[in-house]
Amino acid sequence: MNWKTTITVVALALPNLARADSRWVLESSTLTYHISHPLHQVDGISHDARGKGTCHAGQCDFLIAAPVKSFDSGDSNRDLHMLQVTRGGQYPMVTVRTRLPESASSLSSVTADLDIEFAGQKVPYKQVAFQRSTDGARSRITGTVPCTVADFKIDPPSLLTVPIKNEMPIRVDMTWRTE
Amino acid sequence: MVTTEIDMKTVTTHLLILFCLSALVIQMPSLAFADEAAANSSSPATESAPSLQDLGFSQAQTQGNAQDQATLDKRSHMLKIHQRWGLATTAPLIATLLLAPGGKSNSSARSLHGGLGIITAGMYFTTASYAIRAPKIPGTKEKGPIRLHKALAWIHGPGMIVTPILGAMADEQRNAGQKVHGIASAHGAVGGITIAAYLASILAVSIKF
Ligand code: HEM
Ligand code: HEM
Repeated sequence: MNWKTTITVVALALPNLARADSRWVLESSTLTYHISHPLHQVDGISHDARGKGTCHAGQCDFLIAAPVKSFDSGDSNRDLHMLQVTRGGQYPMVTVRTRLPESASSLSSVTADLDIEFAGQKVPYKQVAFQRSTDGARSRITGTVPCTVADFKIDPPSLLTVPIKNEMPIRVDMTWRTE
Repeated sequence: MVTTEIDMKTVTTHLLILFCLSALVIQMPSLAFADEAAANSSSPATESAPSLQDLGFSQAQTQGNAQDQATLDKRSHMLKIHQRWGLATTAPLIATLLLAPGGKSNSSARSLHGGLGIITAGMYFTTASYAIRAPKIPGTKEKGPIRLHKALAWIHGPGMIVTPILGAMADEQRNAGQKVHGIASAHGAVGGITIAAYLASILAVSIKF
């Protein structure tokens, strides 16, 4: 083999080596569920989510999970009722899985198919839109997942006999970095 | 020897080209997704995906158990009963107040008020017992209106014990033809404070500040 061939071959191979399987780690996050009732608007916030993404062959598999009891609505009693109605004793974690092409890491908007496991139910959400921005080596992802109480077969809690609304959007604000 | 050397070179070249091509092929899916619309579609995760253990959650955190759920269920159930009894108690409580005998009361008016007072106290302690016996969840940091609700119980709780005792003393003094005197004369004031604290504790958990 002549040296030109060698150089060409190596030059072609190098970018591929450099782009070998990458990994993403969730650095910080704010997940907020919102529920409404004629008398109350409630936001429950968790900063305890952890997440990882592993990329292979141009596809990245992400897993994000948070303990259900880490959501804080500012009222410990309500949080315990939330834990009860969402069967958080039996199913203590909420997990989100998704798969994205590696190239999505350079886009400003990403739509993802999510598989959410929560309250003992696994619910797919198709084509959920997220915004992505770059902050140095970090990627910030924001968006809202249009969850409902009925999706997860949660018995809607009521206050003064009036149940909460079915809509339970989850706002997502995550900062990821590559490992 | 020369032939073998050439063969080795050819083999090396082929191997390198093969490696290069396979590396390109591995890239293919991501190349195929180069346009935005395609890049945005996705599919469910595979076995290579991270697991809960990879995230560093312990088994204890990720595995639920029926016992924990049963405790939560029992707690919520008992507190629901607590609320119902609590609300129901306000009816005889208000009636006791409205039918409080004045200075020139006869004994039947006093008996009616006293009877209602006893019923109120009975229902009150039933209400309280459901809240007190409801299982506590370890590691809960108390937050929000429940703190005021519980703090007020330190006023209406003792108040609900002392008020009927003072009332009974006042009743005895009246029946003996005396003017209400001594500590018994505090019955009305103690009763009033008890009612105010009780109503405030209901407001504490039903109105958002
Ligand atoms: C008899 C007088 C009362 C006492 C001594 C009392 C005491 C308590 C205590 C200690 C708790 C905390 C339970 C726990 O977190 O483990 C509680 C919770 C609560 N109480 Fe009361 N309470 C009284 C009356 C009432 C009344 C009249 C209401 C009427 C609405 C009420 C509504 C609540 C509510 C909403 C909670 C929160 C528990 C939950 O979310 O279900 N309480 N109470
Ligand atoms: C929840 C329980 C009760 C509450 C909140 C309550 C409250 C009151 C109030 C606000 C008054 C008016 C005081 C005044 O006019 O100066 C009063 C008077 C009175 N209550 Fe009660 N009461 C309760 C239970 C009882 C019981 C159990 C008895 C007796 C068995 C009783 C006997 C009396 C008598 C005799 C008076 C007239 C006192 C007087 O002439 O100065 N009360 N009560």
